[in-house]
Amino acid sequence: MLTLPAAISAIFARAGSNVRLAVHHKAGLTYWLPFAFVQKIRGVPGVAGVNHYSWFGGIYDEPKNLFPNFAMDPETVDRVWPDYGIDPGALARFRQIRNGALVGEQTMRKFSWRVGQEVTLRGTIFPVDLTFQIVGVIPAASGNPLVFWFNRKYLEEAMDSRGGFLRVGMIWIRADRPEHVPGIARAIDELFRNSDSEVATETEKSFVASFYSSLQGFMRVILAVGFLVVAAVVLIAANTSAMGVRERLPEIAVLKSLGFGRRAILLTLMAESTLQATVGGLLGAGGAYAIFQALGAAGKTSNALPFLGPFGGFHMSPLVAAEGLAVAVTVGLVAGVVPAWTGARLNVVEAFRRLF
Amino acid sequence: MIELQDVSRVYHRGVDQVHALAHVTLHVAAGRFVALMGPSGSGKSTLLNLLAGLDRPDSGEVMVAGQPLSTLDEDGLAAWRARHVGLVFQFYNLIPVLSALENVELPLLLTTLGRPERRRRAEVALGAVGLASRAHHRPRQLSGGEQQRVAIARAIVTDPDLIVADEPTGDLDAKSAVEILTLLRELNRAFEKTVVMVTHDPRAERFVDAVVHLDKGVLVNGGGRGS
Repeated sequence: MLTLPAAISAIFARAGSNVRLAVHHKAGLTYWLPFAFVQKIRGVPGVAGVNHYSWFGGIYDEPKNLFPNFAMDPETVDRVWPDYGIDPGALARFRQIRNGALVGEQTMRKFSWRVGQEVTLRGTIFPVDLTFQIVGVIPAASGNPLVFWFNRKYLEEAMDSRGGFLRVGMIWIRADRPEHVPGIARAIDELFRNSDSEVATETEKSFVASFYSSLQGFMRVILAVGFLVVAAVVLIAANTSAMGVRERLPEIAVLKSLGFGRRAILLTLMAESTLQATVGGLLGAGGAYAIFQALGAAGKTSNALPFLGPFGGFHMSPLVAAEGLAVAVTVGLVAGVVPAWTGARLNVVEAFRRLF
Repeated sequence: MIELQDVSRVYHRGVDQVHALAHVTLHVAAGRFVALMGPSGSGKSTLLNLLAGLDRPDSGEVMVAGQPLSTLDEDGLAAWRARHVGLVFQFYNLIPVLSALENVELPLLLTTLGRPERRRRAEVALGAVGLASRAHHRPRQLSGGEQQRVAIARAIVTDPDLIVADEPTGDLDAKSAVEILTLLRELNRAFEKTVVMVTHDPRAERFVDAVVHLDKGVLVNGGGRGS
Protein backbone atom coordinates (compact mmCIF):
# COMPACT_ATOMS: atom_id res chain seq x y z
CA MET A 1 0.00 0.00 0.00
CA LEU A 2 2.87 2.34 0.77
CA THR A 3 4.14 1.94 -2.77
CA LEU A 4 0.76 2.76 -4.39
CA PRO A 5 1.36 6.55 -4.61
CA ALA A 6 4.67 5.91 -6.35
CA ALA A 7 2.95 3.52 -8.73
CA ILE A 8 0.30 6.13 -9.57
CA SER A 9 3.02 8.75 -10.10
CA ALA A 10 4.66 6.35 -12.53
CA ILE A 11 1.34 6.06 -14.39
CA PHE A 12 1.14 9.88 -14.62
CA ALA A 13 4.69 10.03 -15.92
CA ARG A 14 3.83 7.55 -18.69
CA ALA A 15 0.54 9.22 -19.53
CA GLY A 16 1.66 12.76 -20.13
CA SER A 17 3.48 14.61 -22.87
CA ASN A 18 5.30 17.90 -22.47
CA VAL A 19 4.52 19.20 -25.95
CA ARG A 20 0.81 18.43 -25.86
CA LEU A 21 -1.41 20.97 -24.18
CA ALA A 22 -4.95 20.78 -22.91
CA VAL A 23 -7.27 23.79 -23.07
CA HIS A 24 -10.38 23.63 -20.93
CA HIS A 25 -12.83 25.98 -19.30
CA LYS A 26 -11.21 27.83 -16.45
CA ALA A 27 -14.12 26.87 -14.20
CA GLY A 28 -13.56 23.16 -14.73
CA LEU A 29 -13.89 20.25 -17.06
CA THR A 30 -17.65 20.03 -16.78
CA TYR A 31 -18.10 23.42 -18.47
CA TRP A 32 -18.36 23.53 -22.25
CA LEU A 33 -16.39 25.85 -24.52
CA PRO A 34 -17.69 27.42 -27.76
CA PHE A 35 -16.62 25.28 -30.72
CA ALA A 36 -15.39 28.44 -32.46
CA PHE A 37 -12.43 28.46 -30.04
CA VAL A 38 -10.93 25.53 -31.97
CA GLN A 39 -10.49 27.61 -35.09
CA LYS A 40 -9.11 30.58 -33.16
CA ILE A 41 -6.51 28.42 -31.45
CA ARG A 42 -5.32 27.04 -34.79
CA GLY A 43 -4.03 30.55 -35.56
CA VAL A 44 -1.82 30.81 -32.46
CA PRO A 45 1.89 30.82 -33.44
CA GLY A 46 3.76 27.64 -32.55
CA VAL A 47 0.68 25.40 -32.71
CA ALA A 48 1.45 22.36 -34.87
CA GLY A 49 -1.90 20.62 -34.53
CA VAL A 50 -5.28 21.05 -32.86
CA ASN A 51 -7.91 18.52 -31.95
CA HIS A 52 -10.73 18.44 -29.46
CA TYR A 53 -12.72 16.23 -27.14
CA SER A 54 -16.43 16.28 -26.44
CA TRP A 55 -17.48 13.74 -23.83
CA PHE A 56 -20.30 11.66 -25.31
CA GLY A 57 -20.89 9.59 -22.20
CA GLY A 58 -22.15 6.61 -24.21
CA ILE A 59 -22.69 3.21 -22.59
CA TYR A 60 -22.40 -0.16 -24.27
CA ASP A 61 -25.25 -2.60 -23.58
CA GLU A 62 -25.44 -2.03 -19.84
CA PRO A 63 -24.92 1.07 -17.64
CA LYS A 64 -21.91 -0.60 -16.02
CA ASN A 65 -20.16 -0.61 -19.40
CA LEU A 66 -19.12 3.02 -19.20
CA PHE A 67 -15.77 4.04 -20.65
CA PRO A 68 -14.30 7.31 -21.98
CA ASN A 69 -15.79 7.99 -25.42
CA PHE A 70 -15.18 11.29 -27.17
CA ALA A 71 -16.31 13.04 -30.32
CA MET A 72 -13.23 14.52 -31.98
CA ASP A 73 -11.58 15.44 -35.29
CA PRO A 74 -10.24 12.51 -37.36
CA GLU A 75 -8.24 14.85 -39.60
CA THR A 76 -5.60 15.89 -37.06
CA VAL A 77 -5.14 12.78 -34.92
CA ASP A 78 -1.72 12.07 -36.43
CA ARG A 79 -0.61 15.66 -35.85
CA VAL A 80 -1.69 15.86 -32.20
CA TRP A 81 -0.94 12.27 -31.15
CA PRO A 82 1.92 11.14 -33.44
CA ASP A 83 3.45 9.30 -30.47
CA TYR A 84 0.45 6.95 -30.10
CA GLY A 85 1.66 4.63 -32.84
CA ILE A 86 -1.76 4.25 -34.49
CA ASP A 87 -1.71 2.29 -37.73
CA PRO A 88 -1.79 4.74 -40.72
CA GLY A 89 -4.35 2.52 -42.46
CA ALA A 90 -6.64 2.79 -39.46
CA LEU A 91 -6.22 6.56 -39.42
CA ALA A 92 -7.10 6.72 -43.13
CA ARG A 93 -10.27 4.69 -42.53
CA PHE A 94 -11.09 6.88 -39.54
CA ARG A 95 -10.99 9.92 -41.80
CA GLN A 96 -13.02 8.26 -44.56
CA ILE A 97 -15.78 6.50 -42.66
CA ARG A 98 -18.19 8.92 -41.06
CA ASN A 99 -19.23 6.60 -38.24
CA GLY A 100 -15.73 5.13 -37.83
CA ALA A 101 -14.25 4.72 -34.37
CA LEU A 102 -10.75 4.20 -33.02
CA VAL A 103 -10.82 2.18 -29.84
CA GLY A 104 -8.21 1.68 -27.13
CA GLU A 105 -6.65 -1.77 -26.98
CA GLN A 106 -7.86 -2.51 -23.47
CA THR A 107 -11.46 -1.55 -24.23
CA MET A 108 -11.30 -3.71 -27.36
CA ARG A 109 -10.27 -6.67 -25.24
CA LYS A 110 -12.69 -5.91 -22.46
CA PHE A 111 -15.67 -6.24 -24.78
CA SER A 112 -14.03 -8.72 -27.15
CA TRP A 113 -14.52 -6.31 -30.02
CA ARG A 114 -12.71 -6.66 -33.33
CA VAL A 115 -11.89 -4.21 -36.11
CA GLY A 116 -14.77 -3.96 -38.58
CA GLN A 117 -17.41 -4.73 -35.98
CA GLU A 118 -20.37 -2.39 -35.48
CA VAL A 119 -21.18 -1.30 -31.94
CA THR A 120 -23.91 0.95 -30.63
CA LEU A 121 -23.38 3.37 -27.77
CA ARG A 122 -26.40 4.67 -25.91
CA GLY A 123 -26.13 8.40 -25.20
CA THR A 124 -26.44 9.51 -21.59
CA ILE A 125 -25.62 13.19 -22.11
CA PHE A 126 -26.83 13.48 -25.69
CA PRO A 127 -30.33 12.23 -26.55
CA VAL A 128 -29.06 9.99 -29.32
CA ASP A 129 -27.82 6.43 -29.69
CA LEU A 130 -25.00 6.11 -32.20
CA THR A 131 -23.81 3.07 -34.10
CA PHE A 132 -20.12 2.96 -34.94
CA GLN A 133 -17.88 0.87 -37.09
CA ILE A 134 -14.58 0.10 -35.43
CA VAL A 135 -11.85 1.02 -37.89
CA GLY A 136 -8.72 0.63 -35.80
CA VAL A 137 -7.07 0.18 -32.45
CA ILE A 138 -5.23 2.67 -30.24
CA PRO A 139 -2.27 0.66 -28.89
CA ALA A 140 -2.00 0.15 -25.14
CA ALA A 141 1.56 1.49 -25.34
CA SER A 142 0.07 4.92 -26.03
CA GLY A 143 -0.86 5.10 -22.34
CA ASN A 144 -4.46 5.73 -23.40
CA PRO A 145 -5.82 2.20 -23.79
CA LEU A 146 -9.42 2.78 -22.67
CA VAL A 147 -10.47 5.63 -24.91
CA PHE A 148 -13.08 5.43 -27.72
CA TRP A 149 -12.74 8.13 -30.40
CA PHE A 150 -15.28 8.92 -33.08
CA ASN A 151 -15.94 11.66 -35.64
CA ARG A 152 -17.53 14.78 -34.19
CA LYS A 153 -19.36 15.43 -37.45
CA TYR A 154 -21.29 12.18 -36.95
CA LEU A 155 -22.53 13.50 -33.59
CA GLU A 156 -23.27 16.94 -35.04
CA GLU A 157 -25.44 15.35 -37.75
CA ALA A 158 -27.31 13.30 -35.19
CA MET A 159 -27.91 16.44 -33.15
CA ASP A 160 -28.99 18.63 -36.09
CA SER A 161 -32.66 17.86 -35.60
CA ARG A 162 -32.31 18.39 -31.86
CA GLY A 163 -31.02 21.95 -31.82
CA GLY A 164 -27.49 21.26 -33.08
CA PHE A 165 -24.23 20.94 -31.22
CA LEU A 166 -21.84 23.89 -31.26
CA ARG A 167 -19.80 23.33 -28.16
CA VAL A 168 -16.68 21.44 -27.29
CA GLY A 169 -15.48 19.90 -24.03
CA MET A 170 -11.78 20.59 -24.31
CA ILE A 171 -9.18 21.31 -26.94
CA TRP A 172 -5.91 19.45 -27.48
CA ILE A 173 -2.89 21.18 -28.97
CA ARG A 174 0.49 19.93 -30.04
CA ALA A 175 3.24 22.54 -29.96
CA ASP A 176 5.84 22.53 -32.73
CA ARG A 177 8.71 22.75 -30.19
CA PRO A 178 8.89 22.17 -26.44
CA GLU A 179 10.30 25.64 -25.79
CA HIS A 180 7.20 27.18 -27.37
CA VAL A 181 4.86 25.51 -24.89
CA PRO A 182 4.84 28.24 -22.19
CA GLY A 183 4.31 30.98 -24.78
CA ILE A 184 1.47 29.10 -26.46
CA ALA A 185 -0.24 28.51 -23.11
CA ARG A 186 0.02 32.19 -22.21
CA ALA A 187 -1.19 33.30 -25.64
CA ILE A 188 -4.26 31.06 -25.54
CA ASP A 189 -5.21 32.08 -22.01
CA GLU A 190 -4.79 35.71 -23.06
CA LEU A 191 -6.81 35.17 -26.24
CA PHE A 192 -9.95 34.29 -24.32
CA ARG A 193 -9.44 36.51 -21.29
CA ASN A 194 -12.56 38.46 -20.37
CA SER A 195 -14.68 36.28 -22.69
CA ASP A 196 -17.73 34.41 -21.48
CA SER A 197 -15.61 31.28 -21.38
CA GLU A 198 -12.16 31.97 -20.02
CA VAL A 199 -9.81 29.04 -20.50
CA ALA A 200 -6.96 27.38 -18.65
CA THR A 201 -4.13 25.91 -20.72
CA GLU A 202 -1.70 23.40 -19.32
CA THR A 203 0.60 20.64 -20.51
CA GLU A 204 -0.89 17.18 -20.81
CA LYS A 205 1.34 15.98 -17.96
CA SER A 206 0.06 18.76 -15.71
CA PHE A 207 -3.52 18.18 -16.90
CA VAL A 208 -3.39 14.48 -16.09
CA ALA A 209 -1.87 15.24 -12.69
CA SER A 210 -4.52 17.83 -11.83
CA PHE A 211 -7.23 15.52 -13.14
CA TYR A 212 -6.10 12.97 -10.62
CA SER A 213 -5.53 15.54 -7.88
CA SER A 214 -9.04 14.80 -6.70
CA LEU A 215 -7.58 11.42 -5.77
CA GLN A 216 -5.13 13.05 -3.39
CA GLY A 217 -7.43 12.70 -0.39
CA PHE A 218 -7.84 9.06 -1.26
CA MET A 219 -4.08 8.76 -1.62
CA ARG A 220 -3.58 10.28 1.81
CA VAL A 221 -5.97 7.71 3.26
CA ILE A 222 -4.06 4.95 1.46
CA LEU A 223 -0.78 6.30 2.83
CA ALA A 224 -2.19 6.57 6.36
CA VAL A 225 -3.61 3.05 6.20
CA GLY A 226 -0.34 1.86 4.66
CA PHE A 227 1.67 3.36 7.53
CA LEU A 228 -0.71 1.84 10.07
CA VAL A 229 -0.38 -1.55 8.38
CA VAL A 230 3.42 -1.26 8.36
CA ALA A 231 3.39 -0.16 12.02
CA ALA A 232 1.22 -3.15 12.89
CA VAL A 233 3.53 -5.43 10.90
CA VAL A 234 6.55 -3.97 12.73
CA LEU A 235 4.88 -4.74 16.07
CA ILE A 236 3.97 -8.27 14.95
CA ALA A 237 7.47 -8.83 13.58
CA ALA A 238 9.03 -7.39 16.74
CA ASN A 239 6.88 -9.70 18.85
CA THR A 240 7.86 -12.67 16.67
CA SER A 241 11.49 -11.67 16.90
CA ALA A 242 11.21 -11.20 20.68
CA MET A 243 9.59 -14.63 21.00
CA GLY A 244 12.38 -16.12 18.90
CA VAL A 245 15.01 -14.54 21.15
CA ARG A 246 13.14 -15.58 24.30
CA GLU A 247 12.93 -19.18 23.11
CA ARG A 248 16.63 -19.23 22.40
CA LEU A 249 17.87 -17.51 25.53
CA PRO A 250 19.59 -20.75 26.59
CA GLU A 251 21.47 -20.89 23.29
CA ILE A 252 22.38 -17.22 23.53
CA ALA A 253 23.61 -17.77 27.08
CA VAL A 254 25.73 -20.70 25.90
CA LEU A 255 27.19 -18.65 23.04
CA LYS A 256 28.05 -15.83 25.43
CA SER A 257 29.62 -18.26 27.88
CA LEU A 258 31.77 -19.64 25.05
CA GLY A 259 33.11 -16.17 24.41
CA PHE A 260 30.81 -14.67 21.80
CA GLY A 261 30.71 -10.93 22.50
CA ARG A 262 27.72 -8.62 22.66
CA ARG A 263 28.42 -7.26 19.18
CA ALA A 264 28.48 -10.73 17.60
CA ILE A 265 25.22 -11.70 19.32
CA LEU A 266 23.56 -8.38 18.40
CA LEU A 267 24.58 -8.63 14.75
CA THR A 268 23.56 -12.29 14.52
CA LEU A 269 20.08 -11.64 15.91
CA MET A 270 19.63 -8.51 13.78
CA ALA A 271 20.78 -10.40 10.70
CA GLU A 272 18.31 -13.17 11.45
CA SER A 273 15.40 -10.76 11.82
CA THR A 274 16.39 -8.87 8.67
CA LEU A 275 16.92 -12.07 6.70
CA GLN A 276 13.48 -13.35 7.66
CA ALA A 277 11.87 -10.06 6.63
CA THR A 278 13.89 -9.96 3.41
CA VAL A 279 12.81 -13.46 2.44
CA GLY A 280 9.20 -12.48 3.24
CA GLY A 281 9.61 -9.29 1.20
CA LEU A 282 11.10 -11.20 -1.72
CA LEU A 283 8.23 -13.66 -1.66
CA GLY A 284 5.62 -10.89 -1.32
CA ALA A 285 6.98 -8.23 -3.67
CA GLY A 286 8.53 -10.72 -6.07
CA GLY A 287 5.38 -12.84 -6.07
CA ALA A 288 3.14 -9.82 -6.69
CA TYR A 289 5.44 -8.65 -9.48
CA ALA A 290 5.42 -12.08 -11.12
CA ILE A 291 1.63 -12.39 -10.79
CA PHE A 292 0.96 -8.97 -12.33
CA GLN A 293 3.43 -9.67 -15.12
CA ALA A 294 1.64 -12.95 -15.80
CA LEU A 295 -1.78 -11.26 -15.71
CA GLY A 296 -0.54 -8.54 -18.06
CA ALA A 297 0.86 -11.14 -20.44
CA ALA A 298 -2.38 -13.15 -20.28
CA GLY A 299 -4.38 -10.01 -21.07
CA LYS A 300 -2.21 -9.27 -24.12
CA THR A 301 -2.13 -12.70 -25.64
CA SER A 302 -5.62 -13.96 -25.03
CA ASN A 303 -9.17 -12.86 -24.62
CA ALA A 304 -8.95 -13.40 -20.90
CA LEU A 305 -9.37 -9.74 -20.02
CA PRO A 306 -13.13 -9.92 -19.30
CA PHE A 307 -12.38 -12.67 -16.77
CA LEU A 308 -9.44 -10.82 -15.26
CA GLY A 309 -11.49 -7.72 -14.60
CA PRO A 310 -9.46 -4.77 -13.32
CA PHE A 311 -6.47 -7.03 -12.64
CA GLY A 312 -5.77 -7.16 -16.37
CA GLY A 313 -5.02 -3.44 -16.31
CA PHE A 314 -2.80 -3.46 -13.21
CA HIS A 315 0.85 -2.72 -13.70
CA MET A 316 3.62 -3.15 -11.16
CA SER A 317 6.95 -1.64 -12.08
CA PRO A 318 10.25 -3.15 -10.87
CA LEU A 319 10.76 0.06 -8.88
CA VAL A 320 7.53 -0.49 -6.94
CA ALA A 321 8.55 -4.11 -6.27
CA ALA A 322 11.92 -2.84 -5.06
CA GLU A 323 10.18 -0.33 -2.78
CA GLY A 324 8.07 -3.14 -1.32
CA LEU A 325 11.21 -5.14 -0.66
CA ALA A 326 12.88 -2.10 0.92
CA VAL A 327 9.88 -1.65 3.25
CA ALA A 328 10.15 -5.32 4.25
CA VAL A 329 13.88 -5.05 4.96
CA THR A 330 13.28 -1.92 7.04
CA VAL A 331 10.54 -3.72 9.00
CA GLY A 332 13.00 -6.55 9.72
CA LEU A 333 15.69 -4.16 10.87
CA VAL A 334 13.39 -2.09 13.07
CA ALA A 335 11.61 -5.12 14.52
CA GLY A 336 14.88 -6.84 15.36
CA VAL A 337 16.57 -3.99 17.23
CA VAL A 338 15.03 -4.34 20.69
CA PRO A 339 15.02 -8.17 20.89
CA ALA A 340 18.59 -8.29 19.57
CA TRP A 341 19.70 -5.66 22.06
CA THR A 342 18.01 -7.63 24.87
CA GLY A 343 19.73 -10.82 23.76
CA ALA A 344 23.11 -9.15 23.44
CA ARG A 345 22.90 -7.74 26.97
CA LEU A 346 21.82 -11.04 28.49
CA ASN A 347 23.47 -11.75 31.83
CA VAL A 348 24.89 -15.26 31.44
CA VAL A 349 24.93 -16.15 35.14
CA GLU A 350 21.37 -14.94 35.62
CA ALA A 351 20.28 -16.78 32.47
CA PHE A 352 21.88 -20.07 33.58
CA ARG A 353 20.34 -19.76 37.02
CA ARG A 354 16.90 -19.11 35.57
CA LEU A 355 16.94 -21.39 32.57
CA PHE A 356 18.83 -24.50 33.65
CA MET B 1 47.16 -20.86 37.77
CA ILE B 2 44.19 -19.64 39.80
CA GLU B 3 44.47 -17.06 42.54
CA LEU B 4 41.45 -15.82 44.47
CA GLN B 5 42.32 -13.16 47.00
CA ASP B 6 39.74 -12.26 49.63
CA VAL B 7 36.87 -12.62 47.17
CA SER B 8 33.29 -11.82 48.18
CA ARG B 9 30.11 -11.92 46.16
CA VAL B 10 26.76 -10.67 47.36
CA TYR B 11 23.47 -11.14 45.53
CA HIS B 12 20.53 -8.86 46.10
CA ARG B 13 17.13 -10.52 46.24
CA GLY B 14 14.67 -7.70 46.80
CA VAL B 15 15.68 -6.07 50.06
CA ASP B 16 17.63 -9.14 51.17
CA GLN B 17 21.33 -9.64 50.63
CA VAL B 18 22.65 -13.14 50.03
CA HIS B 19 26.35 -13.58 50.76
CA ALA B 20 27.19 -16.22 48.17
CA LEU B 21 30.93 -15.98 48.87
CA ALA B 22 32.58 -14.32 51.83
CA HIS B 23 36.29 -13.47 51.84
CA VAL B 24 37.40 -16.55 49.94
CA THR B 25 41.09 -16.99 49.27
CA LEU B 26 42.08 -19.91 47.07
CA HIS B 27 45.06 -21.03 45.05
CA VAL B 28 44.96 -23.77 42.44
CA ALA B 29 48.22 -24.74 40.79
CA ALA B 30 48.45 -25.35 37.07
CA GLY B 31 47.65 -28.89 35.94
CA ARG B 32 45.60 -29.76 39.03
CA PHE B 33 42.18 -31.39 39.03
CA VAL B 34 40.17 -29.82 41.84
CA ALA B 35 36.62 -30.57 42.96
CA LEU B 36 34.48 -27.94 44.66
CA MET B 37 32.01 -29.64 46.96
CA GLY B 38 29.43 -28.55 49.44
CA PRO B 39 25.71 -28.37 50.05
CA SER B 40 23.33 -26.47 47.78
CA GLY B 41 23.68 -22.72 48.20
CA SER B 42 27.21 -23.01 49.56
CA GLY B 43 28.65 -20.82 46.78
CA LYS B 44 30.24 -23.50 44.57
CA SER B 45 28.71 -22.33 41.31
CA THR B 46 29.34 -18.68 42.22
CA LEU B 47 33.00 -19.50 42.71
CA LEU B 48 33.08 -21.34 39.40
CA ASN B 49 31.43 -18.41 37.58
CA LEU B 50 34.05 -16.06 38.99
CA LEU B 51 36.89 -18.34 37.84
CA ALA B 52 35.39 -18.58 34.36
CA GLY B 53 34.95 -14.83 34.05
CA LEU B 54 31.19 -15.17 33.79
CA ASP B 55 30.65 -13.07 36.92
CA ARG B 56 32.57 -10.44 38.87
CA PRO B 57 33.28 -10.30 42.59
CA ASP B 58 32.03 -7.43 44.73
CA SER B 59 35.43 -7.32 46.39
CA GLY B 60 38.73 -9.11 46.13
CA GLU B 61 40.71 -10.14 43.10
CA VAL B 62 40.46 -13.09 40.75
CA MET B 63 43.53 -13.89 38.71
CA VAL B 64 43.60 -16.75 36.21
CA ALA B 65 46.66 -17.69 34.15
CA GLY B 66 48.29 -14.44 35.20
CA GLN B 67 45.37 -12.31 34.09
CA PRO B 68 43.61 -10.15 36.71
CA LEU B 69 40.00 -10.44 35.52
CA SER B 70 38.93 -7.16 37.10
CA THR B 71 40.95 -5.30 34.46
CA LEU B 72 38.79 -6.64 31.63
CA ASP B 73 35.47 -5.18 30.52
CA GLU B 74 32.62 -7.46 29.45
CA ASP B 75 33.76 -7.87 25.86
CA GLY B 76 37.35 -8.30 27.05
CA LEU B 77 36.20 -11.02 29.44
CA ALA B 78 34.32 -12.74 26.61
CA ALA B 79 37.41 -12.70 24.40
CA TRP B 80 39.58 -13.92 27.29
CA ARG B 81 37.09 -16.71 28.04
CA ALA B 82 37.16 -17.80 24.41
CA ARG B 83 40.93 -18.19 24.54
CA HIS B 84 41.59 -19.50 28.03
CA VAL B 85 38.52 -21.29 29.45
CA GLY B 86 36.60 -24.39 28.44
CA LEU B 87 33.17 -24.73 30.00
CA VAL B 88 31.23 -27.93 30.74
CA PHE B 89 27.67 -27.68 32.08
CA GLN B 90 25.42 -30.08 33.95
CA PHE B 91 22.84 -30.11 31.15
CA TYR B 92 25.44 -30.16 28.34
CA ASN B 93 24.00 -26.99 26.73
CA LEU B 94 24.61 -28.12 23.18
CA ILE B 95 22.93 -26.24 20.35
CA PRO B 96 20.17 -28.65 19.28
CA VAL B 97 20.10 -27.71 15.58
CA LEU B 98 23.83 -28.32 15.14
CA SER B 99 25.54 -31.67 14.76
CA ALA B 100 28.05 -32.88 17.35
CA LEU B 101 30.90 -31.77 15.08
CA GLU B 102 29.37 -28.34 14.52
CA ASN B 103 28.80 -27.91 18.25
CA VAL B 104 32.46 -28.66 18.89
CA GLU B 105 33.50 -26.31 16.10
CA LEU B 106 31.45 -23.45 17.55
CA PRO B 107 34.13 -21.85 19.81
CA LEU B 108 36.58 -21.94 16.90
CA LEU B 109 34.35 -19.50 15.00
CA LEU B 110 35.83 -16.85 17.29
CA THR B 111 39.32 -17.60 16.00
CA THR B 112 40.93 -16.66 12.72
CA LEU B 113 41.15 -20.31 11.62
CA GLY B 114 39.78 -21.26 8.22
CA ARG B 115 36.92 -23.71 7.89
CA PRO B 116 39.03 -26.78 6.98
CA GLU B 117 41.31 -26.26 9.98
CA ARG B 118 38.32 -25.67 12.28
CA ARG B 119 36.80 -28.91 11.06
CA ARG B 120 40.04 -30.79 11.54
CA ARG B 121 40.47 -29.56 15.11
CA ALA B 122 36.83 -30.31 15.95
CA GLU B 123 37.30 -33.85 14.61
CA VAL B 124 40.45 -34.27 16.72
CA ALA B 125 38.60 -33.07 19.83
CA LEU B 126 35.66 -35.39 19.14
CA GLY B 127 38.13 -38.22 18.62
CA ALA B 128 39.78 -37.41 21.96
CA VAL B 129 36.47 -37.99 23.76
CA GLY B 130 35.78 -41.16 21.75
CA LEU B 131 32.93 -39.82 19.63
CA ALA B 132 34.48 -39.59 16.17
CA SER B 133 31.85 -41.97 14.83
CA ARG B 134 28.99 -39.78 16.11
CA ALA B 135 30.25 -36.55 14.56
CA HIS B 136 27.22 -35.94 12.39
CA HIS B 137 24.56 -36.82 14.94
CA ARG B 138 22.37 -34.14 16.45
CA PRO B 139 22.36 -33.83 20.26
CA ARG B 140 18.90 -35.44 20.56
CA GLN B 141 20.29 -38.51 18.78
CA LEU B 142 22.93 -38.95 21.48
CA SER B 143 22.68 -40.35 25.00
CA GLY B 144 23.28 -38.11 28.02
CA GLY B 145 26.81 -39.41 28.46
CA GLU B 146 27.57 -38.88 24.78
CA GLN B 147 26.18 -35.35 24.88
CA GLN B 148 28.42 -34.58 27.84
CA ARG B 149 31.40 -35.96 25.92
CA VAL B 150 30.53 -33.62 23.04
CA ALA B 151 30.35 -30.75 25.55
CA ILE B 152 33.80 -31.73 26.86
CA ALA B 153 35.15 -31.86 23.31
CA ARG B 154 33.73 -28.36 22.79
CA ALA B 155 35.47 -27.25 25.99
CA ILE B 156 38.89 -28.53 24.94
CA VAL B 157 38.83 -27.71 21.23
CA THR B 158 40.38 -24.27 21.74
CA ASP B 159 43.14 -25.81 23.88
CA PRO B 160 42.25 -23.69 26.93
CA ASP B 161 44.39 -23.33 30.06
CA LEU B 162 41.45 -24.03 32.34
CA ILE B 163 38.49 -26.39 32.11
CA VAL B 164 35.58 -25.44 34.33
CA ALA B 165 32.87 -28.03 34.85
CA ASP B 166 29.63 -27.33 36.71
CA GLU B 167 28.23 -30.65 37.97
CA PRO B 168 29.16 -32.50 34.78
CA THR B 169 27.83 -35.80 36.13
CA GLY B 170 24.70 -34.36 37.74
CA ASP B 171 22.37 -35.47 34.96
CA LEU B 172 24.00 -38.83 34.19
CA ASP B 173 23.53 -42.41 35.31
CA ALA B 174 26.27 -43.98 37.42
CA LYS B 175 28.09 -45.64 34.51
CA SER B 176 28.12 -42.53 32.36
CA ALA B 177 29.14 -40.42 35.36
CA VAL B 178 32.21 -42.58 35.93
CA GLU B 179 33.06 -42.41 32.23
CA ILE B 180 32.89 -38.61 32.26
CA LEU B 181 34.97 -38.36 35.43
CA THR B 182 37.51 -40.74 33.89
CA LEU B 183 37.60 -38.66 30.72
CA LEU B 184 38.17 -35.43 32.64
CA ARG B 185 40.91 -37.11 34.63
CA GLU B 186 42.57 -38.33 31.40
CA LEU B 187 42.39 -34.90 29.83
CA ASN B 188 43.87 -33.44 32.97
CA ARG B 189 46.72 -35.95 32.96
CA ALA B 190 47.37 -36.25 29.22
CA PHE B 191 47.16 -32.57 28.33
CA GLU B 192 48.01 -31.12 31.75
CA LYS B 193 44.84 -29.06 31.78
CA THR B 194 43.80 -27.44 35.01
CA VAL B 195 40.29 -28.67 35.80
CA VAL B 196 38.00 -27.17 38.41
CA MET B 197 34.76 -29.06 38.85
CA VAL B 198 31.72 -28.40 41.00
CA THR B 199 30.14 -31.67 42.04
CA HIS B 200 27.87 -33.34 44.55
CA ASP B 201 29.06 -36.74 43.37
CA PRO B 202 31.07 -38.48 46.13
CA ARG B 203 32.68 -40.74 43.47
CA ALA B 204 34.48 -37.67 42.17
CA GLU B 205 36.85 -37.68 45.11
CA ARG B 206 38.61 -40.73 43.62
CA PHE B 207 39.43 -38.87 40.40
CA VAL B 208 40.58 -35.46 41.62
CA ASP B 209 43.81 -34.18 43.12
CA ALA B 210 42.10 -32.07 45.76
CA VAL B 211 38.66 -31.35 47.13
CA VAL B 212 37.70 -27.87 48.28
CA HIS B 213 34.70 -27.77 50.58
CA LEU B 214 32.48 -24.76 50.79
CA ASP B 215 29.70 -24.01 53.21
CA LYS B 216 27.62 -20.83 53.34
CA GLY B 217 30.06 -19.05 51.11
CA VAL B 218 33.11 -19.85 53.18
CA LEU B 219 35.94 -22.29 52.46
CA VAL B 220 35.80 -25.11 54.97
CA ASN B 221 39.06 -26.74 53.95
CA GLY B 222 41.38 -27.17 51.03
CA GLY B 223 41.79 -23.52 50.31
CA GLY B 224 45.43 -23.42 51.01
CA ARG B 225 48.21 -23.04 48.53
CA GLY B 226 48.53 -25.67 45.84
CA SER B 227 45.05 -27.20 46.14
